Amino acid sequence: MNVVVLYLLLVKATLTSFSGLASLPMVQSDFVARRHVLTDRQLNTAVAAGRIGPGPNGIYVVSIGYLVDGVPGACVGWLAMITPAFLIIPMLRFLGARAEHPRAKAVARAVLFAGAGLMLSAAVPLARDAITNPLSLGIIIASFLLIASARIDSLWVMLGAALIGVIAFQF
Amino acid sequence: MRRPRLIDVSRLFFRVGVTVFGGGDPSIAILQREFYRRDWLSPEKFAIAFGLARLTPGTNVLAFCAATGWYILGLGGALAAVLAITIPASVLVVWLTQAYNLTAHSRLAQSIANALLAAAVGTMIGAALLLVGSQCKPGRWLKPVIISTGAFLLAFVARLTPLQVIAVAAIAGFFWVDPSAES
Repeated sequence: MNVVVLYLLLVKATLTSFSGLASLPMVQSDFVARRHVLTDRQLNTAVAAGRIGPGPNGIYVVSIGYLVDGVPGACVGWLAMITPAFLIIPMLRFLGARAEHPRAKAVARAVLFAGAGLMLSAAVPLARDAITNPLSLGIIIASFLLIASARIDSLWVMLGAALIGVIAFQF
Repeated sequence: MRRPRLIDVSRLFFRVGVTVFGGGDPSIAILQREFYRRDWLSPEKFAIAFGLARLTPGTNVLAFCAATGWYILGLGGALAAVLAITIPASVLVVWLTQAYNLTAHSRLAQSIANALLAAAVGTMIGAALLLVGSQCKPGRWLKPVIISTGAFLLAFVARLTPLQVIAVAAIAGFFWVDPSAES
């Protein structure tokens, strides 16, 4: 498939969705159902590869590009994934000095507090997946305590968890 | 607020891009905590970036990274943030696509991924409580507690989408102005 067409199809999917995997139905329609350049099995592999690795869920688009056209396709998928992100900059520029108004600040603070509530609600289903044994519960509690009470860099929390994962594998 | 060097901004987003599992929400939680710890971004600007990212098409966390990078260091910061968080993760996802059958059934890989996911969950809870706690001052704790608890209930119990929750919070904030806090 031509890389320009690949980019246009992928960016159409990312531009018309508002979260990582919401573009999936359009990708399935364009690449599997209409153009037959991917199979459902390959689509599932792309989604799974995106979910088992680090980074946002929307990164599966890179995997789609790779499966369609190798490394050039992966680069095109990456470009299609990041393109919509920069649309936020004109919105921020528009807000500009308006953001200093007391009422705008009150709205921003309310959104900030809502963000904390949303983070907690997003943590619940992830916790259900993460708590597979007493050790994983212990990691959750330890990382919570370290993040909430100490000024420790979160990198050390992640590296410590990875090390525990390696040690747990040995037993 | 401190103004960091471009390399420091790139390094932080790079680290989050390769070490945080579980999607965009844990990444935002960790970035919020690191911005707070390093004094790079005010809570108000974090809130604007967080809210507008939900309104931006595509992957929300990438719009959030572009916005926070732009606030910290302008266009260069936005580019550095998005590139640093996506390039290493994209290389990894290509490798995982190639090696899917190997990695999906590797017990070592699963053990590490499970431990990292557990750490991401603990970090998210810690970052959320830290965020609310930092805004609770004597006599000014009611608004942070009510709005964050309400947002949690709307999302988790009433199953509203994040965009709907943010809209409700924005309306509440518009009508509930605390002059001493917003001055």
